[in-house]
Amino acid sequence: MLPVSVPTPESAALETEVLLVQRLRDRDEGAMTIFYDKYSAALYGVILRIVKKEEIAEDVLQEAMVKIWHSFPSYDADKGRLFTWVMNVCRNLAIDKIRSRQYRVGSRTQPIEESAALRQAAEPAFRPEHIGLQEMTRQLNPEQRQIVDLLYFGGFTQSEVAEELSLPLGTVKTRARAAIKVLSKLIR
Amino acid sequence: MNIQEYIESGILEEYALGVLSEVERAEVERIARQHPEVDRELQNVVRALDAYAEAHAVTPPADLRERVLQGWQQAIRETTPAATPPANGTSTTPPPMMASAAAPAAGATPDGAVVRQLPAQESNGGRTRWLIAASVALLMLSALGNFMLYNRLKETEANLEVAQTEQSRYAATQKAALNERDQQLRVLRNEAFRAVELKGTPKAPQALARVYYNPQTKAVYVDVRNLPAPPAGKQYQLWALDNGKPVDAGVLAAATTAGDSIQQMKDIASAQAFAMTVEDEGGVASPTLSTMTVIGNL
Repeated sequence: MLPVSVPTPESAALETEVLLVQRLRDRDEGAMTIFYDKYSAALYGVILRIVKKEEIAEDVLQEAMVKIWHSFPSYDADKGRLFTWVMNVCRNLAIDKIRSRQYRVGSRTQPIEESAALRQAAEPAFRPEHIGLQEMTRQLNPEQRQIVDLLYFGGFTQSEVAEELSLPLGTVKTRARAAIKVLSKLIR
Repeated sequence: MNIQEYIESGILEEYALGVLSEVERAEVERIARQHPEVDRELQNVVRALDAYAEAHAVTPPADLRERVLQGWQQAIRETTPAATPPANGTSTTPPPMMASAAAPAAGATPDGAVVRQLPAQESNGGRTRWLIAASVALLMLSALGNFMLYNRLKETEANLEVAQTEQSRYAATQKAALNERDQQLRVLRNEAFRAVELKGTPKAPQALARVYYNPQTKAVYVDVRNLPAPPAGKQYQLWALDNGKPVDAGVLAAATTAGDSIQQMKDIASAQAFAMTVEDEGGVASPTLSTMTVIGNL
């Protein structure tokens, strides 16, 4: 399904993922421990980046695990990687959380550099081609980064970002697209 | 359709960012299935954002692992399969759902909002429900435990009362018995008392009894060693023989006859010998000589 750029580690990772998916599909509770060990750092990091408070991040991570377990039968491996799916579940729950806590728009658009999550050292993730946050942010210009963060971590639509930043929708789309192009080049 | 234009429209990025509605999302997936170029580009975009997410990885505190895994297990235990959100179409694709609740303007589906809210509510509500259920169960257990302990306490108190009553009754009995023995002992040890062996007549050769007689105080005690059991309705009667004339010294109680205790008899003014006969219960005025069982001289 995926274009394999780094054949050996990538296919190995895929194989592990296929096994994990199979165990989760079989309702094997022990698989959730493996799941946690494999994905918790990535999921927790993103959740923390969104909710900004550790105790809330913990709650969201647990809620996400419950949701992932219950909605697992609806996960379709043909449509994408397990990582993408679970990351979206976590992102959605975290975004719901900050909205349910009636975070004001102003607080959502506060400078990214102030977030607690950013100051924490990013741990090496499970993918061999993993690229650190520092390198990624060096490659993105601030405008691109702001838009990606609002879209990805803020749960904003492109129209909302346009309104928020007082930019034409076309500009937002162009920047988002450019930013993602930079990111995808980095991982190739 | 112009594939290149489609790819450059920005819709694939929106797909990966999860800002598309369910319908738009399905459309992107349909087109990607038809056009390998679109599919390849879509995967690139998705992987780019995955990598961006991964770059933010923060290893959670070590103690969080246990808490989260335990909390998860508890949550899935308390959620019965019926309460599990059904695996419906909308939940197969989380990203479009996020657009719905918070951004109604972006063509959101109300369904998405519901599906998305469910797990959080279920988890929180479930936890609360579980806590309430656990509290009620604990309270009931505690009440039951108290009730059982109370019953046991009452039972114990009742038993103790019975035991104390029995103990005091036993003590009283023992005290009386001890007094009696003391008195008997005084009799036996008193020099003034003279022991008279009453031996069995040919009628009952094995019979044996002893009389203690105090000529000064006139007191008479009888101590049976061995006497045949008297026939029903009969009793042994002790006689003092004073100058050959029988004088009634009283009848023997059943316990005395059995040899269980020494019995004080009627005072006798003067005697040279004692004998026992078997008489009707309550005793008679003059002895039936044919039933004489034991006899002995002073």
